[in-house]
Parts: sequence; C-alpha cells; structure tokens
Amino acid sequence: MTTEKHLSSEEIVKSFENEFKNNITDIRVEKRTQGVKKTEFMHIWMRVGNNVFKEAVRHLAKLDPYTHFAVSSGYDAGNTIDLVYHFSIYHGTRHKEISVNFTVSLPKSNPIIETITDIFPGAIISEQEKQEMLGVKIRGIPKDTRVFISDDFPKDMYPWRRDETGPQKMIRNLHKEAEQ
Amino acid sequence: MKQQITKTTYQLPIGPIHPALKEPVMFEFEIEGERIIDVNVALGHVHRGIEWAGMQRNPIQILYLAERICGICSYCHPMSFALAVERAAGIEVPERAQYLRVIQGELERICSHMLWAGVAAHEIGFDSVLFLTWQMREKGLDLTEYLTGNRVTKGITMIGGVRRDITNDMHPKIKEALQYFKDNFEKLRHIFLDDKTFKMRSQNCGVLTKEDALKLCAVGPTTRASGVKKDVRLDQGYFAYGDLDFDYVTPDVLTGEVHGDVYDRIIVRLLEVKQSIDLIEQCLNLMPSGEIISEPKIPKLLAILKKLNGEGIGRMEAPRGEVIHYVKFTGQDSPYSWKVRAPTYSNVLPWIPMLKGGQIADIPIVAASTDPCMSCTNRVAVVHNDKRYELDKEELHRMSIEKTRRLMT
Amino acid sequence: MRLSMLPQVFVQMFKKPFTNKFPAKYTPSSTTRFLENVQNGKTKINPPVETPPGFRGKIQYDREKCIGCQLCIKVCPSGAIEFKPEEKKIKIFLARCTFCSQCNDVCPVNCLSMSNEFLLADTDKYSKSLIVE
Repeated sequence: MTTEKHLSSEEIVKSFENEFKNNITDIRVEKRTQGVKKTEFMHIWMRVGNNVFKEAVRHLAKLDPYTHFAVSSGYDAGNTIDLVYHFSIYHGTRHKEISVNFTVSLPKSNPIIETITDIFPGAIISEQEKQEMLGVKIRGIPKDTRVFISDDFPKDMYPWRRDETGPQKMIRNLHKEAEQ
Repeated sequence: MKQQITKTTYQLPIGPIHPALKEPVMFEFEIEGERIIDVNVALGHVHRGIEWAGMQRNPIQILYLAERICGICSYCHPMSFALAVERAAGIEVPERAQYLRVIQGELERICSHMLWAGVAAHEIGFDSVLFLTWQMREKGLDLTEYLTGNRVTKGITMIGGVRRDITNDMHPKIKEALQYFKDNFEKLRHIFLDDKTFKMRSQNCGVLTKEDALKLCAVGPTTRASGVKKDVRLDQGYFAYGDLDFDYVTPDVLTGEVHGDVYDRIIVRLLEVKQSIDLIEQCLNLMPSGEIISEPKIPKLLAILKKLNGEGIGRMEAPRGEVIHYVKFTGQDSPYSWKVRAPTYSNVLPWIPMLKGGQIADIPIVAASTDPCMSCTNRVAVVHNDKRYELDKEELHRMSIEKTRRLMT
Repeated sequence: MRLSMLPQVFVQMFKKPFTNKFPAKYTPSSTTRFLENVQNGKTKINPPVETPPGFRGKIQYDREKCIGCQLCIKVCPSGAIEFKPEEKKIKIFLARCTFCSQCNDVCPVNCLSMSNEFLLADTDKYSKSLIVE
C-alpha cells in the first residue's frame, strides 16, 4: 500500500483539472492544523459535472487502489438535487490521508446518475438510501429495494425534499394531538 | 421408475425483534442441514428520523440530539458534529480543550470494549466472564460520572471546546481508576486469550479476508483484525492525536500472524484497551494550560453560526469504527443539511462473506464480534422460497451454548 | 488451560458482593406494605451509592434572580421550558427535561442550578413534583 507515490493535494487537483478541463468547478483545498505540534491535514472539495462523474471516480480510484468510500449525502437545493460523495485516499501511513469530496448537481426534472458499485461494492446501501429519500434514479444499481423506509410508506413521497413531495402530510405532532 | 432426489435448501428468517443479537436486525439465511449457504441482512427497524429532526433545531440543540443517536457511541456523534461545524466556520479550538477531548474519548473506548467483551462471552455461554468484565466496567462508569456528571449521556461537548475542565485535584482519582484497569488487564487477557473454550469457539470462525475488507470499505476493529491498517486517529488525525505516540493495532502485534477470524477481533479489542490506558496517561502528562472553549458566550456563538455559509465534514474514530458527519449551513437558524453515517453502516455488508459456510450455532458469536450498534444503523433483508420456520432468541442462544458443551467433551 | 475462571470464582465466594442493595436486599412481595413499613419506621431503606459533586440531577430555579430574557428557552433541546409572559418568569416541565444543564450555562444571572436529586419517578406527567416554577 505504501509503494505507490503519494501525490500532494495540489498535484491531485492539477491532475483532475488536466483530465476533465472545465467540467470540474469550485475547487477548494482546505488546510487545517491540530494539536500543539500543529500537524496539518487537507480536505479537497470539488464540484463535478454529471457527464464526467463516473470517469472522475475511476480517476480517483487509480490514484490509490484502496480508496475508501465513506458515505454519500444529499440535499434539495431548490431546482436541483445536490449529492455529495465523501472519499478518502492514502490511508495506512501516519498523517497522510486526504479527504476528497465530490458535489454533483442533478436537475430535478431528470435526476439520473451512474452507479459506482462496480468500483466500490460497499456503496450499495448509500445508493439505495438516496433513491428512497430523494427520488434519485441510480442507473445500473444491482439491487433496487428500499433500505431504511418501510415498504408501506407512499412511493412518491421523498422525506428529504423540501417541495410538495416532502413529508409534510406524514408528520404527527404528538403533543398537539394530546391536547385535543 | 427412478426418482431424482433433489437437494433443496431451507430459508431461515431470524427476525428483527428477537435475534440472539441484542440489536434489531433481520437476517434471512439459506441453510442446508446446519451449514449456511447464503445470507441476506435487512436494516431499518430503528429508523427514527433524527436527521429530519435536526434540521428544525439550532446547532446547540442538535448536539444533544446527536448524543441520543446511540448509547455507547454517545460521545462520538456530538464530537463529530462539533468538528464538522468548527471546520465549516473556521473556529479554532484551544489546545487544552483538544487534550481534554482525547481523554474523554479514550475513556469511552475502554468502557465500550469492556461491554463488548462481556457480550461476546455471554454469546459463547461463559456467563461468569460477563459479570467479571461488567464489574470492571463499573469503575470506568464511576470515573465518567465524576468527570462529566452522568454515566452515559455525557453532555461534555460544546462547539469550540468542552464544557467541563479536569483540574489538578481530579488527577488522583483518574490515576486510581487507571491503576485498577492495569492491574486487572492481565486477568482479562489470560481468560480471553489463553482459555481453551474461547479458542475453540472463535478460531477459524467468521473469517473476513483482507481483500473483502478493503472492497466492502469496512471500518474499525473489524477491518483491523483482517490486517488492514485503517484508523482515523493515525491516518488523518484530529484533536491532539498528532502529538501522541502510538501505532496501528493489528493482530500480528501479539501473535505474529493475521487470520481475520473472531479470535483476531478479540485480540484487537483487548490491545486497544491497553492502548487507551496508555494514551490517557500521556495526555495527563502533556496537557497544556489555557482556555477550554474558544467562545464562552453562547448567544454570540449562536449569532456567528446564524450568519454562516459553508459546509464541513467531521470524522472520528468511535469504538466501532469511523463516524462521519456532514453539515451544510446557508445563513439560517438551523443547518440546511445534516448527514450522519455511523460505523455499523459500513460493517453490515461484511457479515455476508463471514457467515457463508458457517454453522447456525455460530451466528450469535460472529455477529457479535463485529460489535453491531443498530441504534446507529438499520436493516436489510432478503427472502427466497418455500419452507421457512422461525428460530427465536432463546433458541439460538441455547444452540450456541450447546455447541460449546459439545466441543468441550 | 481449560478452567481459567475457576480461581476467580473461588475467590469471589468469600468476598462481599459487588451489588449495592438499594432499596432492599430482595424484592419485597408487596410494594405498598414495604412502603408502609418504611413510613412507620419498621424497616430501613439501604441508601443508594453516593453521587459525586457536579452530578446533574433535578433542576433548581431561583425566581427572584430571573430577568425573563428567554435564552434558556432558545437552547433547550427538548422544549421543556415555557415562558409566562405576564410575570416574565419560566416554568420547567421535568417530564421532558433531558438533564443536560445547557440552560444553566447560558443563563446570564445564574439563577438555575442542578441538585443531586435523582429519585423522581411519578405516575402523572404533570404532577406538582415534576413542575419547577
């Protein structure tokens, strides 16, 4: 695991920029320190276009064959649905791990994104969760079932959305019901 | 007329409320005789809508909501949230507060691993060890109550630091508890690692290979026992871990070889208890003086967070693995988005390769060896075909104890 | 070594049990009769384990010092505090309180503090012993 060369965060960002030109925007490299000795750690944030998303994930997996996929989070940003994928590379050596986060914007009228379970088999639960919570369609997902919500929950209601498909009708305020 | 004898497999659901697992998970096993051919796991039974509830509250209220996600990891969830908020807002935490956070985290790790050791012994059928380890855990809980005010829901986190200090007159009590743990550690190590009962039940049982652990992105002691060096405290570091002197804990530190079975997981967890005691002593010696919180006036802190626009992630090493929180602020009272990922989320999928090829009576100990915490996670299920019958918790537990007795004679 | 627990079990037979026998050594067959006997003085309750200083028990409220700024209501995670607008004082519902003591930290005049009382069980959520005002 330590035989590959570890790139620095500037080199990583440059390799992405060279490969994908202007499909990557909003790049931020944050450096923070901790402890008395002020050890540094880096977080890289990028906004990746939907058309190059799968290629970008493959490019990241080439940088480190043991890339770790943590989780994917998502939120409803008005006209679009934004998904944020959290990865981390170069684990195994002290203080060398870098967190890489991809933000992908999907239009609400057509929220389709490619699956990454062929590169990361452990991502299946995250992808099933996005399908049921936000109404995103994952193309090529191996198992299309609900994971956290029970099967008798209405099919077109998405709990994390803030528009009319949100869970407003399903909320019960128990203390208000007790007063009545 | 010759009749073809067909071999069929049976379906065995071990349902949510009553598996021999202490946590609500649903398993669906496909078995042939006593051997397991295939398994499917289902989550979702403890879904409480916490992330949605968090989006209606301001960040200080979310700290206490996050504490109640899980009873055992009740320190790691609010701490990860505080880390995420501090990184999004650019708040600097004072150095003394970072050392205090390390001490509380390691104390929680000791208590959690002691609880796990008792549960693992109970699943094998060794109840006297359960009571012994839980009696030792009481000392850790008494120390927690002395330092924070409560045994389980510590309430010691604040964005920008901690709420209570450890003054010099508290040091003798901490040192006395650490001495008690050190004196009894050898007793525990002798029982768990040298005893023939534990060895014959746990060696070569529930094996997770290194390739599988890396592909399925497992975290925590489950993956370290398979030889993968993955630990957030050392890889990236947070709080004051960059100043302390320690290393990855893998089974070859003690025995020299790595098998990835249940016995290796026991080794990893016991060695981590020893490491935690050592880390707390290092912190007590190296602690700098200074402030314990960067912004003591809480209304001012709330005003800063209300105007904030940004996002951040916070990662921590809980006793079970890596916890990650993601938070996004857009200039309102409450955050726009909050995502929690507990370590058992990633440790659910490794159950499938671990249980295939094993026996039914091994299900409790293999599932307990990954230390699942379903309050942090959910379910998975799969079903197949015709014949199904149910085995409830007492039945599974009884089968596990009977296997131990069978192997002993 | 097969019987590694046996020496420990043997030693334990001669030691005092670790359990603290609060309130009585064995469960009484009738709880009401037990409580009557305690009232008369016929039986004694074993005391619970001592709480350390800084324990977060029942909240205590000093009415005179309170200025009605409502900061405690803003930070309470469970919404256990209610404001009384006419008197400009607060009312705390212990049935909802999570004993986090965040309200103590935020109060500008320090009128809230935590005692070490923890025996608060009751049958009615809104009884007098569970409302502090």
